Amino acid sequence: MSCVNGVVPTTIIVAGLALAGYALLMTARNRRMSVPLLAALGVLEILLLVQVGIIVARLAGGGRPASLPTLIGYLIAMPLVPVAAAFWGLLERSRWGPAVVAVAGLVAAVLMVRLHQIWPVIRV
Amino acid sequence: MASSPEPAAAPPGSTRTGPGRLLIAVYALFALAASARAGVQIATKFSNAPVAYLLSAFAAVVYILATVTFVVGSPTARRIAVVSCSVELAGVLAIGTWSLADPATFPDATVWSGYGSGYGFVPLVLPVFGLLWLRRNTRLAETQRTTAASAGDAGQAAGGGADHSVRSVGDAE
Repeated sequence: MSCVNGVVPTTIIVAGLALAGYALLMTARNRRMSVPLLAALGVLEILLLVQVGIIVARLAGGGRPASLPTLIGYLIAMPLVPVAAAFWGLLERSRWGPAVVAVAGLVAAVLMVRLHQIWPVIRV
Repeated sequence: MASSPEPAAAPPGSTRTGPGRLLIAVYALFALAASARAGVQIATKFSNAPVAYLLSAFAAVVYILATVTFVVGSPTARRIAVVSCSVELAGVLAIGTWSLADPATFPDATVWSGYGSGYGFVPLVLPVFGLLWLRRNTRLAETQRTTAASAGDAGQAAGGGADHSVRSVGDAE
């Protein structure tokens, strides 16, 4: 369990940064939203949901962070990031669609670091 | 010229499309982050750092206002957006300086502490890009209005002025 605990956030950080890099490349090359970008957002979404599941399991096990409301806020907001980015990016018919996806990738990575600060038992 | 043929599909003066799409995404993110943070702080430990938490709440209001006005994009909304982006820029600079000069007032950080260093300095550059986008966008909208008006009286001398402004926007692209 403690092994999985560290692996998932690390994977999310790597995946988020990789997605951001790829999406920025698409922006630089003047490309619109594409199926690979949407698929990558889907993978990120699944990873974030797994992370939410791990944290909920820890809460159910009796663990408590210093600020429970903050953690609950993160649990709600985290899975919304890729969904919102897909929706908002698809509305745009220019290079700025992938730019929105890049932001989502960066945000996912930053959220993992912040999670660790909110509740240090969530290792990165 | 390197200017790509950005489609004129965007409705006149829309602050919502193109680079605006990215700006709104980031503004919405900060609106959410700042309001959630201020809400939790004020509800659970207001007496710890009242000044910092009230400033966080103020920042949240500014971010929400900017997000909404960028989405609406009407001439009035654009004027409000210029004011809120200016307040935002002034706020980051003032609070950033204040937090460094007088750390005792800020036992807990705000979004704008240290010029937004806790948020990768995004709060510092965001209003600058916001104001640049608003300026370009307003010019574009004015030109389109001028062009549309001059289409009616094509034979008149006023046409020359419209031609000139069209060219200047093309250069700005």
